[in-house]
Amino acid sequence: MAREKIYLEEVFPSPFMQLWRIFRKTPVAMVGFCCFILLILLAIFAPIISPYSPVDGNLDMILLPPAWHVDGNVSYLLGTDELGRDMLSRLMYGTSLTFGLSFIVVFFSLVIGVVIGSLSALTRGIKSSFLNHFLDVVLSIPSLLLAIIIVAILGPGISNTVWAIAIVFIPQFIHITRYAVKEEFRKDYVLASRLDGASNFRILYYSVFPNIVERLMSQATLAQSAAILDIATLGFLGLGAQIPLPEWGAILANGLERFYIAPWTVYLPGLAILFAVVATNLVGEGIRHALKLRKEN
Amino acid sequence: MLTFTLRRISLFIFTMLVLTLLSFSLSFLFPGDTVINHSGQINATVSELAQLNQAYQMDKSIVNQYGAYLTHILNGDFGQSMASQSPISKEIIELLPATIELSLVALLIAMIVGIPLGFIAAIKHNKTSDHVILSLAMLGYSIPVFWLGLLAILVFSIGLGWLPSAGKISLLFEIEFVTGIQFIDILLSDSPYKWQAFSNASAHIILPACVIALAPATIFIRLSRAAMIEVLAASYIRAARAKGLSFQQIIFRHAIRNALIKIIRHVGLQFANLVTIAMVTEVIFSWPGIGRWLIESIYQRDYTAIQGGLLVLSCFIFIIHILTDFIYAALNPLARGNKYGS
Repeated sequence: MAREKIYLEEVFPSPFMQLWRIFRKTPVAMVGFCCFILLILLAIFAPIISPYSPVDGNLDMILLPPAWHVDGNVSYLLGTDELGRDMLSRLMYGTSLTFGLSFIVVFFSLVIGVVIGSLSALTRGIKSSFLNHFLDVVLSIPSLLLAIIIVAILGPGISNTVWAIAIVFIPQFIHITRYAVKEEFRKDYVLASRLDGASNFRILYYSVFPNIVERLMSQATLAQSAAILDIATLGFLGLGAQIPLPEWGAILANGLERFYIAPWTVYLPGLAILFAVVATNLVGEGIRHALKLRKEN
Repeated sequence: MLTFTLRRISLFIFTMLVLTLLSFSLSFLFPGDTVINHSGQINATVSELAQLNQAYQMDKSIVNQYGAYLTHILNGDFGQSMASQSPISKEIIELLPATIELSLVALLIAMIVGIPLGFIAAIKHNKTSDHVILSLAMLGYSIPVFWLGLLAILVFSIGLGWLPSAGKISLLFEIEFVTGIQFIDILLSDSPYKWQAFSNASAHIILPACVIALAPATIFIRLSRAAMIEVLAASYIRAARAKGLSFQQIIFRHAIRNALIKIIRHVGLQFANLVTIAMVTEVIFSWPGIGRWLIESIYQRDYTAIQGGLLVLSCFIFIIHILTDFIYAALNPLARGNKYGS
């Protein structure tokens, strides 16, 4: 038998891998993680797998209740709305709008926030102190209020909502990156690589980032659950996605007039939002729990 | 305490300056003419426009313009609403108390429900009841507030018919406007139907206040749980146990007091969150507050109203923030040092 490894090699998993190993052992977190992956897949492949178009209605099938209802029709699994549009297809397309956009928004603000935050962690003195105070003021204003103001400046619409929420989330990523980088820079392993002659950027890239990536991810999940709620709330208020876009909050607002005769047009999109936020929060809780356990070991 | 007060006041003035600067710059960012955005007079004639330009010193440098704007704000002149052409300060004085009332009741409910649950979870740390409370808390802060409000209306107003679904009080009652806070106004009035009005107003406030309170209550659960776990691990608790105090004595005499202090610090930050939730809830429950007014001004592109509303709302949030800081410092001597000043 061929032995590829002759010597017993000691492998130290990277901090990220250690975290993943602990994370994998928490069943609840894994359920959340699977739902999260499912939502991402749904957001990408919604146009392929959804049975009907999200905007074209079938006027023969107006206000059909879900299939488990006595009057339901199995070819419209979750029923239809007042224009005969299939709820299931609308909710599937809504995944890419509400959930998918929130993912992109958070990724975008994460990247910008990390760049500014790590640059500012390397500066000292008056610039840094000014930034600190400025961030404190911005962070004390609630994200939704700030997003509403920015939408008021830019005008309603889904793309403006995305910009507004991205701008609103950047400060918190700057804040957390700054603190994390500053904390790591005080540690001995950074000093060791500095004595090796590494430049600040090299230290940042090879030594600091692998150690703070999970803290950033934990913050990102928090931000994403807030982003989903913010996009949906703005859609509900009519400031975000406009008719006929199948954004979850907008679908819900659309069903409002027929709330009593067709309650499924209201509770289904609400459940979809709840599902997405719970899945995101479970992943976040799992990461935080794993971080705590790793610290204790 | 004096240094602490001075520090807070200087922080307050600084933040107010930043906020007015923000609302001043909004006039330039919004579409339309700057001076009209400042004053809200969309139908101004040429001579009135010249007068406004004079009043806001539009021909001078930007610093002078800001100074003129600040003078107007300090005199209580927020301009006119573009939609209704009535002074914004008057509208705000009528609407803000309703929001204050709603959010304070919601904060009270959130604290009364959230804090004891958090304490129970901490005392039963890592047992079933702890897990149940934590899972409920996570579900609670994942629910979109507008959906919860609609479900609450569907169940309690339409389905069961227990509670009214919209407004502040039934239109049958005529309550004179004194402070704007409904309950105080009712108690001050000399109407023979005072108590009917009072119970009607309480029935109206229960549903929106509970909807607003849910998300902050879950955060209070987490905060109080973390605070209690920390306190129970402290050495003075171990000392109390070594002295032979019973479990109840330890919890009620020592642990709760010290844990509560830690929670009070966070009330200010949570309040900001609560006010945003209240804005959305006001829309759903047709509550005549400043949040609903602000969102409606966005629909109507009433830029002057947006500026005024933003300024007043964030000022209100900040005042509550500073008040909780004061209460915290008054209760906890350790916090009065320089450590927490900024």
